Amino acid sequence: MSATKVERLLNLSAALLAAERPLSAAEIRQRVPGYPDELGSFRRAFERDKDDLRQMGIPLRLTSMQAEGQVTEGYRIPPEEYALRDPGLEADELAALHFAVHAVRLEGISSAEALQTLAGERFAGVEPLETGEQLARVPADGRLMTLFAALVDRHPVRLVYNDTARVVEPHRLDYERGRWYLSGFDRERAQNRSFRVERIQQDVVVQLAETFQAPSQPHPGVALRSWQLGRAEAVWAEVAVDADQAASARRHLGEEAVAGVDATGRTRFRVEVRNREAFRGLVLTFLDHAEVLSPPELRADVVAWLEALARS
Amino acid sequence: MSAEPRRNRVTAGDRVRRLLGIVPWIAAREGPTISEICERFELTRTQLLDDLDVVFMVGLYPFTPDELIDVIIEEDRVFIRLADFFARPLRLTPDQALALVAAGASLAPGGAADADSPLARGLAKVAAVLGIDQEAALAVHLGEARPEVLALLHTAVAERRQVELNYYSYGRDTQTRRLVDPHQVYADGGQWYLDATCHTAVGERLFRLDRIEQAVLTDQHFAGRAGPARGANLAPGAKGGTGSGAGGGVYHPSPADPRVVLDLAPAAAWLTEHYPCEAVEVLEPSGPEAMSRLRVTLAVSAQPWLERLLVRLGPDATVVRADAPLDVDVGRRAAARILARYGHGEPVA
Repeated sequence: MSATKVERLLNLSAALLAAERPLSAAEIRQRVPGYPDELGSFRRAFERDKDDLRQMGIPLRLTSMQAEGQVTEGYRIPPEEYALRDPGLEADELAALHFAVHAVRLEGISSAEALQTLAGERFAGVEPLETGEQLARVPADGRLMTLFAALVDRHPVRLVYNDTARVVEPHRLDYERGRWYLSGFDRERAQNRSFRVERIQQDVVVQLAETFQAPSQPHPGVALRSWQLGRAEAVWAEVAVDADQAASARRHLGEEAVAGVDATGRTRFRVEVRNREAFRGLVLTFLDHAEVLSPPELRADVVAWLEALARS
Repeated sequence: MSAEPRRNRVTAGDRVRRLLGIVPWIAAREGPTISEICERFELTRTQLLDDLDVVFMVGLYPFTPDELIDVIIEEDRVFIRLADFFARPLRLTPDQALALVAAGASLAPGGAADADSPLARGLAKVAAVLGIDQEAALAVHLGEARPEVLALLHTAVAERRQVELNYYSYGRDTQTRRLVDPHQVYADGGQWYLDATCHTAVGERLFRLDRIEQAVLTDQHFAGRAGPARGANLAPGAKGGTGSGAGGGVYHPSPADPRVVLDLAPAAAWLTEHYPCEAVEVLEPSGPEAMSRLRVTLAVSAQPWLERLLVRLGPDATVVRADAPLDVDVGRRAAARILARYGHGEPVA
């Protein structure tokens, strides 16, 4: 790593922070030392610098502006967005967050530094709560951070998923069953969609020139009960589970699905089904400890499946 | 998810970020000493002096002396002037903010009962600085576990007290009662685990918290286990949630366990992504139009585990070979047993 690059990034930050109006690329080239002379090399270096600034969390803003009679892009770092606002953490809040960042680590990120930044002078006085033990590890990759940054700043993102290019307004990130999911508004499909972050092909490209309106209703997040994910019309099924498996079924299906418990502890569940195959898989997980009671067609579906297997 | 390799190398971005914290800190003070600065930012003297060396050259166009940051090092004290544009520290970086919010959110699952805890209050303040509604924007669910079980096990680990577990062994499809020495509780890959010494099965076991039906704290204390906790390093691939999880917790196949060989139709190919297959072979298509079938070998911890798998796969899987005590009819018999419950056919012994 070269000192000149560090110097150039600092000078670029200073120039954009101190600028009273957005600066064009040409002005930046003139005012910030350390860029290559040749125009193409300058452009490539400037592109990399912009990425670096964003990765550092520096809010680089793009606006259209007039320069030399032409419409061009102007760059600026608004000081009020750049600077850290003191969240005013109390000692017990700081200690609790300190414990959390030590206990739950996002892979590849040192988050203790974040707290130190936030807490400023008060950090020195934090009494860590038994920080020795790591409780959990949560996977993370560069795309997750990009998505989070876009979510915070309300920029749409361009991404490729299932071999299809999409523009998504990122509303929510969920970590469920060991995986990260992005939920948001898919512009082309004009629908809310969820995406598995690790299945996003290539990089996520943030559309910095645009911002979106916050959703009027919070996004419910990703729905992972596979029997509820389907295009078919919803059918309500009733399933009986024997007492010894009822507790595990409750965790699987949710307390809200419990429709009744008889004297032996046998529990009836009401489940919304949009995907028959997934529902069948769910019921068969309980082997002969569970039974589909209704509707008749779902009961018949399980019976037909088992008969095909028994006769095979 | 393929995490980026941890960067040990300090990049230009890392240094810039560090400097954007150091410069305002020094500028706001009356000449702090080098050792004070080094301690505050966890730097060596050389690192700090190298960094300050760069700052000498930073300023605004046209870089006349009055537009350059003024750095004066005098008798071990550092003074910085004319850094108005860097007067305030840089806000959190996206990765810092994400790590902080995610860690906080994972331990403060929300809900009104929780809203007044120090963690929830701290998290709300951080979210406010970021300008997000944290509960609407990010949720981290480390795994399925009842809060009271989690709390009880934490107490038991901290106080080294034995615990009685009612544990549902998924692989064997049975409830067992066990006495364990709990060593560590941790979450990985979307599951909570208890690493414990089991006195009933006699040995080191990993238990999944979502399968603990009941946990009772006893007054029996136990001595610490020699060697490091197994979960502490959270080795990659340690997740056992999809394994065939028999006996005392998460399944690690042994050479003595029976193996089963299955032929899978294309519709059942998902199995290879969810279960540890010891061999996967692509079979020649049976006709010009046919899709390839797969032949896979799996270690089987216990018969109920295989039964579940076979009844779910149904006609999409064929048992080619099964080591004793299993046999090729395991799936058919399980299907017949379930059918009996539906009033179809006769129960099979």
